[in-house]
Amino acid sequence: MFCGEKKLLETERRVKANDREFNEKFQYATNRIHTSKYNILTFLPINLFEQFQRVANAYFLFLLILQLIPEISSLSWFTTIVPLVLVLTITAVKDATDDYFRHKSDNQVNNRLSEVLINGRLQSEKWMNVKAGDIIKLENNQFVAADLLLLSSSEPHGLCYIETAELDGETNLKVRHALPVTSELGADISSLAKFDGIVACEPPNNKLDKFTGDLSWKDNKYPLNNEKIILRGCVLRNTSWCFGMVIFAGPDTKLMQNSGKTTFKRTSIDRLMNTLVLWIFGFLVCMGVILAIGNSIWKHQVGDYFRAFLFQDEVGKNPIFSGFLTFWSYIIILNTVVPISLYVSVEVIRLGHSHFINWDRKMYYAKKETLAEARTTTLNEELGQIEYIFSDKTGTLTQNIMTFNKCSINGRTYGEVYDDLGRKTEINEKTKPVDFSFNPQADSKFQFYDHSLIESIKLGDPKVYEFFRLLALCHTVMPEENNEGKLIYQVQSPDEGALVTAARNFGFIFKSRTPETITVEEMGKIVTYQLLAFLDFNNIRKRMSVIVRNPEGQIKLYCKGADTILFEKLHSSNEELMTVTSDHLSEFGGEGLRTLAIAYRNLNEEYFKEWFKLLEEANRVFDKRDERVAAAYEEIERDMMLLGATAIEDKLQDGVIETITNLSLANIKIWVLTGDKQETAMNIGYSCNMLTDDMNEVFILSGHTAAEVWEELKKAKEILFGRSTGFTNGYAFCEKLQELKLGSTIEETGYALEANLQNEFLEIACICKTVICCRVTPLQKAQVVELVKKHRKAVTLAIGDGANDISMIKSAHIGVGISGQEGMQAVLASDYSFAQFRYLQRLLLVHGRWSYFRMCKFLCYFFYKNFAFTLVHFWFGFFCGFSAQTVYDQWFITLFNIVYTSLPVLAMGIFDQDVNEQNSMDYPNLYGPGQLNLLFNKRKFFICIAHGVYTSFALFFIPYGAFYNVAGEDGKHIADYQSFAVTIATSLVIVVSVQIALDTSYWTVINHVFIWGSIAVYFSILFTMHSDGIFDIFPNQFPFVGNARHSLSQKNIWLVILLTTVVSVMPVITFRFLKVVLYPTLSDQVRQLQKAQDKARPLRGHKRQPRRTSSRRSGYAFAHQEGYGELITSGKNMRVKNLHPTSGLGKTMYNSTSWIENLCKKTTDTVNSFSLDRTVKL
Amino acid sequence: MKSRKSRGLPSKMPDNTAFKQQQLPAWRPHLTPRTVLSGFFTTGAFFLGMGILLILSAKSIKEIEITYTDICSNCSKLRENASNFYKECNCSIHFIIPEKMPGNVYMYYKLHNFYQNYHQYIMSRNNRQLLGEDITNVENCAPFQRTSNGIPIVPCGAIANSMFNDTILLSYYPNSSTRINVPLLSSDITWWTDKHVKFQNPKSSNLSSAFAGTAKPPYWRKPIYQLDQENPENNGFLNSDFIVWMRAAALPTFKKLYRRIHRIQQFADGLPAGNYSFDIAYNFPVTVFKGEKGIVLSTVTWSGGKNFFLGIAYTVTGAMTWLAAFSMMAVHLKLKKKQESLQH
Repeated sequence: MFCGEKKLLETERRVKANDREFNEKFQYATNRIHTSKYNILTFLPINLFEQFQRVANAYFLFLLILQLIPEISSLSWFTTIVPLVLVLTITAVKDATDDYFRHKSDNQVNNRLSEVLINGRLQSEKWMNVKAGDIIKLENNQFVAADLLLLSSSEPHGLCYIETAELDGETNLKVRHALPVTSELGADISSLAKFDGIVACEPPNNKLDKFTGDLSWKDNKYPLNNEKIILRGCVLRNTSWCFGMVIFAGPDTKLMQNSGKTTFKRTSIDRLMNTLVLWIFGFLVCMGVILAIGNSIWKHQVGDYFRAFLFQDEVGKNPIFSGFLTFWSYIIILNTVVPISLYVSVEVIRLGHSHFINWDRKMYYAKKETLAEARTTTLNEELGQIEYIFSDKTGTLTQNIMTFNKCSINGRTYGEVYDDLGRKTEINEKTKPVDFSFNPQADSKFQFYDHSLIESIKLGDPKVYEFFRLLALCHTVMPEENNEGKLIYQVQSPDEGALVTAARNFGFIFKSRTPETITVEEMGKIVTYQLLAFLDFNNIRKRMSVIVRNPEGQIKLYCKGADTILFEKLHSSNEELMTVTSDHLSEFGGEGLRTLAIAYRNLNEEYFKEWFKLLEEANRVFDKRDERVAAAYEEIERDMMLLGATAIEDKLQDGVIETITNLSLANIKIWVLTGDKQETAMNIGYSCNMLTDDMNEVFILSGHTAAEVWEELKKAKEILFGRSTGFTNGYAFCEKLQELKLGSTIEETGYALEANLQNEFLEIACICKTVICCRVTPLQKAQVVELVKKHRKAVTLAIGDGANDISMIKSAHIGVGISGQEGMQAVLASDYSFAQFRYLQRLLLVHGRWSYFRMCKFLCYFFYKNFAFTLVHFWFGFFCGFSAQTVYDQWFITLFNIVYTSLPVLAMGIFDQDVNEQNSMDYPNLYGPGQLNLLFNKRKFFICIAHGVYTSFALFFIPYGAFYNVAGEDGKHIADYQSFAVTIATSLVIVVSVQIALDTSYWTVINHVFIWGSIAVYFSILFTMHSDGIFDIFPNQFPFVGNARHSLSQKNIWLVILLTTVVSVMPVITFRFLKVVLYPTLSDQVRQLQKAQDKARPLRGHKRQPRRTSSRRSGYAFAHQEGYGELITSGKNMRVKNLHPTSGLGKTMYNSTSWIENLCKKTTDTVNSFSLDRTVKL
Repeated sequence: MKSRKSRGLPSKMPDNTAFKQQQLPAWRPHLTPRTVLSGFFTTGAFFLGMGILLILSAKSIKEIEITYTDICSNCSKLRENASNFYKECNCSIHFIIPEKMPGNVYMYYKLHNFYQNYHQYIMSRNNRQLLGEDITNVENCAPFQRTSNGIPIVPCGAIANSMFNDTILLSYYPNSSTRINVPLLSSDITWWTDKHVKFQNPKSSNLSSAFAGTAKPPYWRKPIYQLDQENPENNGFLNSDFIVWMRAAALPTFKKLYRRIHRIQQFADGLPAGNYSFDIAYNFPVTVFKGEKGIVLSTVTWSGGKNFFLGIAYTVTGAMTWLAAFSMMAVHLKLKKKQESLQH
């Protein structure tokens, strides 16, 4: 399967460039990958071995072996082997097709071409032939073939950009840069061919963000870290070429090391089923023991006298030994209580349900042509039992699109839409957007609906000009021209992208920048500003500023940031404007918009120079540099003039609010787990109505130490439980708690996840109506899920779109991936995938509920059926000397489960519906039984079993009574064994068919065909097997010749069959009827309603309008990463040919070689945040 | 993104078929009071009627059963010792038929406590041999496959070996001095398929030569080809008594058809009331396994022989169905009233 020869455990890897002989000594894996499990030769043995590892299959193999022992064989071997072979074949075919596709994809990947430097020449080689130590050339937009050490690239400083979407799902570009010594090699093939450095590094591992090693070349040692490594699976971007040396190939690459086995998920029904099957085994053994004891006693009292006369079997001489053999014989006969077809049928039903999910047009997203997909076909019924949903925010709840939605300029709001009567209205398709055709450079995707803003611009309001000028100047966006010469922005913060695009459309077009200048086209006029200083953003400052000199020579500071911070820095003359703007901000915040306050300050030359000196000093010292710089920034960012505020909509996906409302009505708790900041998370909480203003307590856990969190939890608890003192009894308390609408936002959950705080946290969190965890790392997401799984024993579902959600998706009972986005990692790890969050509602309330309902019905019926079928043998045991004689013909036993009764119950399991899909959605409470596990549990199981036992009792004793001492209507005997067998078998088939007819609540054509067809098939097979022709050929296999036609022509026997059927079914109908009349479930009621609905559809009762109110809270949120300011002022990320230091201020300010380390350091600082630090191309 | 259609690809959108969208037209049955109650009342009525009919017809059957294990106790004793195997033992039993038994009268022998359904017993036969194709085929017949010197036993197996071999004659005494042998028929006492499909003699002009080279079962007195030397149609594997025996009974107490009363002369209308006797050649030992045997004379009706079980079971089920129907109706009406009063 994997590499043939077992290598010694690698402790250190040594690879020499361009020296295959040297590297061959170590037998490193080549770049060929195998994800397939079998080949043609190994398929049969390995697959069979795997299949027999399953308990059920092994059990049936064991039975088969038992049956081959003549002393105890009570059934022919074919009764077991036919179903077993059928099951094994079906599974093998499925495995084989799966593996075929893996082979295909392996081949496709292995045969990709890449350019490899061999013998001093670049040659095209298949990926699988690439070896460690080879030097390969990559071109732009190519996939990386193996884990490489970057040697040189087309970009200055040996930089290259890579996209790691396939590895970690992040779509922003990452920077890698080569060692200076190797970057000098450039594209010179001859010197590259001479390169003979030796890399010594760690052995293959799965850590994506770590690499340690060193390069020895020309008597020097250079340390290597992750910044110099390009991993397999990445795509080269914005770099025309680069050279790299292969370090890990094929299975050793970090990508392959990471694609570990996914844990096999099982549903709670599965686990219950396994327990029940064990119980049934116990029951089976008990029955075996009872019958074995019976046999011993019988042997002792009756059989011994019989022996001489009837059969001289020496084996049976000893009653105890005879009992022992009988035990095994009965185990064989009674094995059908756990029929092998149970497992197959369950799989078939789940497969059917999965296909229904795949086929659902209502979960098909036409825009991206994405189908809903059930990637795991074995979890469907668990979808009907979800109690907790853990949702990612970005890309799941939100579209990850920021749009400039509203703004407040100088005390006036723009962005509201009014109808003809002057009332505020919602924006819909009919609302006419602002026409930006006057501006040839406008971004056509940008939409704005308030026409008054464009009028203000046309009127030339200076404040409005200044507002947009600020937006066009104060940011870290990089302009680029695409192939068509159109201006595009490369942004690392989507908020800024939205703001700059807005400014662009309103006529303040950010054109280009150099480290010292920013060029803006202002209402058609090109203006170049000199960039004097860039006061970067960080999470403590919560603001950023630029200081620019305009062509007129004025120096201005432009600042944007959190209102709470900025308002304190304003000049005292802004008091009035501040009040108005702050009202606007509250309004925006209440709508869940992300707000930023905007201000400027005019600076005079002297003051600026003085301050600049201060800044330079602060930068020069090493001690407490960051603090000093921050103090310097603080110094200049004051006495600012307020311009207004922006409100950006973090666009929710369609239907998120309705979905969340409906799911909450279904009593599903939704927790949002996000890596984003608290502000953003809270904004989203408000905008999708998870948090509302009538939630009277919003707890924020933001302690930074365990003790602080402890305190906060205690306080929260006091607030909650303090209320209970007013109530005297516990019932009132509980009721009150439900009324309390609580919201909770948890930051730094890490502390809350520590062992001693777990219970406290969970206790509080589970009372809260809404829980939002922010700043959680992917691992913590999984921990939260595990916590709930472990302590609440609830069924959990995690939904997300990014690589950071994988851990949570994998650890939840059910993982859902949002597909249709660029990163596929989450989808690949998920069990279900679809394109829009809103489909979750349909997946759970319709498909999940139905699946659960159907599976439970199926299981109930299946256990009932097999007990009714099998226990007849038990009763018969008492009348046949406990000799393990079967009641039925052996063929009947073989075919009963796989032919006579399999299809109707499958049809029910696949097609049944108690309530139609519309009502499933309209009455979310219908979801309740699944969560409480009411439809199939141990109690239900016992009821089914009791029902089965009762039926088997009737099935045996009614024919027994009727056959006792009886003669046929023609005087001939009908009380022979074969007639008895045929009578019971026919009654059984009819009784279970009537029972399934009763259980089926949705009779489609297929159900009709299967139910009637099964009965027809039973009779036709019966008559065939009892026919003369088949007897002449196999007289010993089909000894029942003539039985069917003789027995079934007797009125007596039909009377017996009718009586058995009525006696078995009548009590069931009585109980069901009384249950529906006396204790109707919601489902029964809805069914009643549905009948009425079929005549006239009533209006849908509860369509809630999302209600938004204003609140006194800051709507500030801004996605930004520190360090980009430095990048801009250093100019490193700009493709300018001549970058010699000039008199620019930026150069003197910073140590130019350290910028990338700085950026990297800061990236690792914030790597846990997984916030919106994505580069989005607008 | 360009749509697939514009690129000439079929859309990925799932088909809008009723099947795939789970919208197949369907019948949704409900347990409405009307259907359930009317169904129950009808079923109950039918069952009650049928039950009474069955009881009445079972009552109309005339049946006489005589267990002769104890009556012929000396014979029973004799048979307990295997060394008396070839000793004849006859037994005569006098009895009275109080009422005339009209129509067809059947004579059965009845065994108690005989486990023909015992697993090893019921499997011990070979249908291929009984088809006369390959009479030396004794597969599955353990433990009666071959004699100790290896000669195949025909018919082989435990069932054949233990064949019931008493002969019973029925005599009628119209008056104290006259004795008439009641004519008994051994034809048409088997299933048609058994006689014509399942059992066939080897194709040979002479039955005894056809069975040459085989041994009789150890408990038999005479070989298979001498079962009925008078009637070649009833000899060998085709012997009716043999065929009847070979159809193993379902339960340890069973009766098997032995003879039919030939309806001629004074028996044309059945058996008249009066004195009768059975003359039994007692061969079949039953006391060794604590069994009993008897003879049954019985008429039949449309529903078969005398058995009250079905009639009673039907009556009881009918009554229970009505009881259930009445209680359901009571509950239903009470709730309906309650709902109506709530509405007012």
